[in-house]
Amino acid sequence: MAPLTILYDPACGLCRRVHGWLADQPKFFELNLLPIKSDSARRRFPELNHDLTAEDLTVITNKGAVYFGPKAWLMVLWALPHYRDWSYRLASPELLPTTKRVVSLISRSRYQISGAAGRAR
Amino acid sequence: MTMDIATYLVYLSISIALTVWVAHTLHKNGRVFLVDVFHGNESLADSVNHLLVVGFYLINLGWICLILKLGYAIASPKESIEALSVKIGTVLLVLGGMHFFNLLIFSRMRRRATMRNAPPPVYPDAFTPVQEV
Repeated sequence: MAPLTILYDPACGLCRRVHGWLADQPKFFELNLLPIKSDSARRRFPELNHDLTAEDLTVITNKGAVYFGPKAWLMVLWALPHYRDWSYRLASPELLPTTKRVVSLISRSRYQISGAAGRAR
Repeated sequence: MTMDIATYLVYLSISIALTVWVAHTLHKNGRVFLVDVFHGNESLADSVNHLLVVGFYLINLGWICLILKLGYAIASPKESIEALSVKIGTVLLVLGGMHFFNLLIFSRMRRRATMRNAPPPVYPDAFTPVQEV
């Protein structure tokens, strides 16, 4: 399995910050970052529910496997050599529930977090 | 030849022989690991293997030289054997430590290499057709 497409929310400061961080990280393979609900996203995934992608991070493989929310974050970690270890650790049965709760919390309050960090939404 | 010199010579020959034996074992059996780590690139594996063995020799021979000095005169064969036993025991422990350290390096390298082909940590939530653009 090769490149991943990441659908991110360009309206949120936190997501743009992560986007920048991601660009500096070494990667196992190419990461294709597309803004949510953009034309290129709709063209590439014509049957995807694009309204849903506004709610949380979405990662799609080039085979069409869709990872949503916490699983998408784990897939991003999995793509990075420095963090692949952590993707398995956080996905273990003991930690997965906590991972899901924390990631959902961050995703839901991403505009507040961005605002608190002094960035416009 | 005094008994001190004889003890030193026996110490040196046994320690150096042990170092050569352990280094040879590492060199011979570490190769398979390294070939796997470097995805069958045998020349790279041989090169790294050789470099590791050189480091192993340097550290061990250096240690053997450093602890050579006894600091007291040997009067009897009994004392000679006791002194040899302590010295060679120390050398063996350091060799053992170095050997396990090398194994650790090999397994680390191998783990990192297998990580590269490891599957995703979670199952997908859904599947969607992908339009190649």
